[in-house]
Amino acid sequence: MITVEHLSKKFDNFVVLKDISIEIKKGEVIAIIGPSGTGKSTFLRCLNLLDRPSSGSIVIDGVNILDAKADVPKVRQKMNMVFQSFNLFSHLSVLENLTIGPIKLRGMGTQEAEQKALELLKLVGLGEKANNYPDELSGGQKQRVAIARCLAMDPEIILFDEPTSALDPTMVSEVLSVIRRLAKEGMTMAIVTHEMDFARDVSNRVLYMDEGLIYEEGTPQQVFENPQKEKTKAFINRVRSFNYQISSPDYDLYAMNAEIEAFCEKQILPRKTRHNVLLLVEELLQLYNPYLSATRLDITLAYSEKKESLELVFESSGEAINPLDTNLLPDELGLTIINNLAQSLEYSRVNDKNRVTVLMNKG
Amino acid sequence: MDMQTKKEENATVVTIIGRLDAVTAPEYEKKLNELIAGAEASFVVDFDQLDYISSAGLRVLLATAKRLKGKGGQMRFANVKGAVKEVFDISGFGSIFQMDDSVDAALAKLPA
Repeated sequence: MITVEHLSKKFDNFVVLKDISIEIKKGEVIAIIGPSGTGKSTFLRCLNLLDRPSSGSIVIDGVNILDAKADVPKVRQKMNMVFQSFNLFSHLSVLENLTIGPIKLRGMGTQEAEQKALELLKLVGLGEKANNYPDELSGGQKQRVAIARCLAMDPEIILFDEPTSALDPTMVSEVLSVIRRLAKEGMTMAIVTHEMDFARDVSNRVLYMDEGLIYEEGTPQQVFENPQKEKTKAFINRVRSFNYQISSPDYDLYAMNAEIEAFCEKQILPRKTRHNVLLLVEELLQLYNPYLSATRLDITLAYSEKKESLELVFESSGEAINPLDTNLLPDELGLTIINNLAQSLEYSRVNDKNRVTVLMNKG
Repeated sequence: MDMQTKKEENATVVTIIGRLDAVTAPEYEKKLNELIAGAEASFVVDFDQLDYISSAGLRVLLATAKRLKGKGGQMRFANVKGAVKEVFDISGFGSIFQMDDSVDAALAKLPA
């Protein structure tokens, strides 16, 4: 239905989309997820030419719409868009918002357009609001009108650009249920959303966008339950991390502790957990102490909000040394404490670096 | 590092305050060694105001106890609780040292 190849978009010298290639088939519901600022909305806007791509091709039913000869208004009729901020005409009634497109752009008769508009308003649960004006509606109702307006043009695909992010939490579900219903009825849709549960259960394909690319894609099950790439994992598991670097045995333990405490407080971790993190870090640093004059140590503390888990990674360059090796330790006191605080503890040699990974016990 | 000492009839009560970690442990060790060198033989270490201890702190306590034992003295711990007690327990130190619920209880168990 739509084939996108090597699509890129630059704003002056700022590259938003690097190289996007994807095929969207009829009836597919594609959820586009990813951190803010990674080009998700720009991708949608490029698809229906609200933003002109810098290079690449978008072929719809055999026609490259980036061709100078392409009939852009006709393309937009096939591929309608629902915006975050509704974009309704405030000086027109709800009914007029739905009929203006079909009458003016498709030459539909007024009576037919109105009849269809009323059916669509009933479909989105707003049959009684036909004669109201947008300003008399709630945010959720406005967005449902916007969806109905989209449908009034009989699009082949609907592009949703964060359709619920401007709504109060209480109004999100009414909009999502309309989109769910469209999905059940077989409407082809591409939905940029931050509603992860919704993305997971409404779509049959998920695109995770990052670095201006489709960084990872798969079925909802693959992307949400078994993401393969680092950034996807961090995003899906809502991982927040803290980094600290030590390059001398005379490091300032208290300065580091203060930063760790601030990070833990930000994640609203219980006091006991904060205490255990500080203890674990100190004990690990003690194991590394003999090597700190010759190596740089990178400490990463990562908290997964979804899994409610804390992981500590100590990574050092230089020759292969396992600081957990009991033969290298004066006593096993520190290691005993670490083992008690850790759910798992392992040493690995990765990319010529020594890596100790500790998954902390909960609580 | 903050430490207070109080001479009782049969022992010196050492109150350690705040943190006993890799940073403060050397100073604590130095002070405790000075007390032992000053002919003090019996100690009660009061942990009531200690918030944090790491293996560096435990090593100081162990070294101090050994030194005292070599001189025929002894050391008891009082008010080991909360996060500090957990570290004692997980490291096995809870069973190595003699611990009491209060300074008075510890003093009562030391020779007059």
